[in-house]
Amino acid sequence: MAAKENFEPKILAFLCNWCSYAAADLAGSSRMQYPPQIRVIRVPCSGRIDPFLLIRAFNSGADGVLVSGCHPGDCHYLDGNYYARRRFLMLKELMQYAGIPEERVNFTWCSASEGKRFAAIVDRVVARIKEVGPWEGFDGRGFARREEEMAGGK
Amino acid sequence: MENKYLEISKKIQEESRKLLSEGKVERIIGFGRGEFTKEITPIFVSDPDRADELLFTPECDMMLAKYLLDYKGSKTGIVAKPCDTRAITVYLAEELIKREEVFIIGINDCEGLDDNDACEECGIRNPVVVDLEIGQPRKEEIDPEIKDELEEMTREERFEYFQKEFSRCIRCYACREACFVCTCDECFADSNQPQWVGASIGKRDNFTFHLMRAMHMAGRCINCGACEQACPEGINMRALTKHLYRVAKDVYQFEPGLDPEEKTLFATYKLNDSEQGFLD
Ligand code: SF4
Ligand code: SF4
Repeated sequence: MAAKENFEPKILAFLCNWCSYAAADLAGSSRMQYPPQIRVIRVPCSGRIDPFLLIRAFNSGADGVLVSGCHPGDCHYLDGNYYARRRFLMLKELMQYAGIPEERVNFTWCSASEGKRFAAIVDRVVARIKEVGPWEGFDGRGFARREEEMAGGK
Repeated sequence: MENKYLEISKKIQEESRKLLSEGKVERIIGFGRGEFTKEITPIFVSDPDRADELLFTPECDMMLAKYLLDYKGSKTGIVAKPCDTRAITVYLAEELIKREEVFIIGINDCEGLDDNDACEECGIRNPVVVDLEIGQPRKEEIDPEIKDELEEMTREERFEYFQKEFSRCIRCYACREACFVCTCDECFADSNQPQWVGASIGKRDNFTFHLMRAMHMAGRCINCGACEQACPEGINMRALTKHLYRVAKDVYQFEPGLDPEEKTLFATYKLNDSEQGFLD
């Protein structure tokens, strides 16, 4: 396993446009500090997120994923997050059973006014993923190594 | 052939002949012997004189329900084990077929099939939906445990186990073809726009394929075992779908294919659904 200490995880964050994305914005414009390791993908609703996207993220070398939607009851489209909740629970169970550490698969809710909560969540998620270390891929070969190989390294 | 199965077969033949000659159905989908190998195989009978070819034995392990999708818009009779009727129930719940399009000849008191481990875990021994019953329904209810063979393993051991299992996969997609849930016009595994998963054999893509496959089965898989039986590599891919079956049962008290009026797991929700494992 690559050095855990100076490990900078790559985390894909799927954020709902109407809440969590705005919360990230708020956190930013309020100059709150949170770790820079998340790559944000803005989606119209947590109900839009096909679980395949998350599985594919791991296939492509993400160290972890974070999905954040509106709190139950607050969905811009009324019930998108309720549908999403079932899918994500099942996906989490599937990944965990298949042996992928549950720390890598994170789901939460965050409203547009919760900039502070958003920063705290990112903190937590980054810490969780640092804890389990770099994701070595479904084949266990690791991704960083492959990048080095491709760059002509050892 | 054992007497019991002989009797069932006779009854199926009799009733099918009647149904076909009275024009109540256009065809009967059932089991018969193949032309060359004499193995049990699905057969399609539309001529009442051929009704005698229909058989029922403990080798009738294919899931026939999927063929109903090829005959939408006409009336089709189908010889259905209890698991086939569950599959039909899922189709009805997802509105893939109409109730009046199918005539279900249901086998009562199913004793399970030869060589299908899933039968030991099945508690549904009478048809769920049926138009004509063959034999007497089983009275006593059973509720066998849906086993978790990997229960004792740690997470790391399970990961290694699945890596090993899926590394043998030759991506022939027999598991997909055998499964009644797989009804998509274009499978994610074949799609290249977007390409969800690489099409060639490799540890990474194989694992991804199986995770995606299992995710598509969630809340619809009835744990019939057809996938496992179809696999030429003997891969235990059912472990994943079975786990999701157990979770759906424990967390949502949901089991697919028991009630045609009930929406499937992902087609509905409850306001107070569990959030176990979510970050608070
Ligand atoms: S056990 Fe589940 S996944 Fe396998 S063929 Fe049956 S319904 Fe499909
Ligand atoms: S049937 Fe077996 S070998 Fe073929 S794709 Fe499915 S798991 Fe892989």
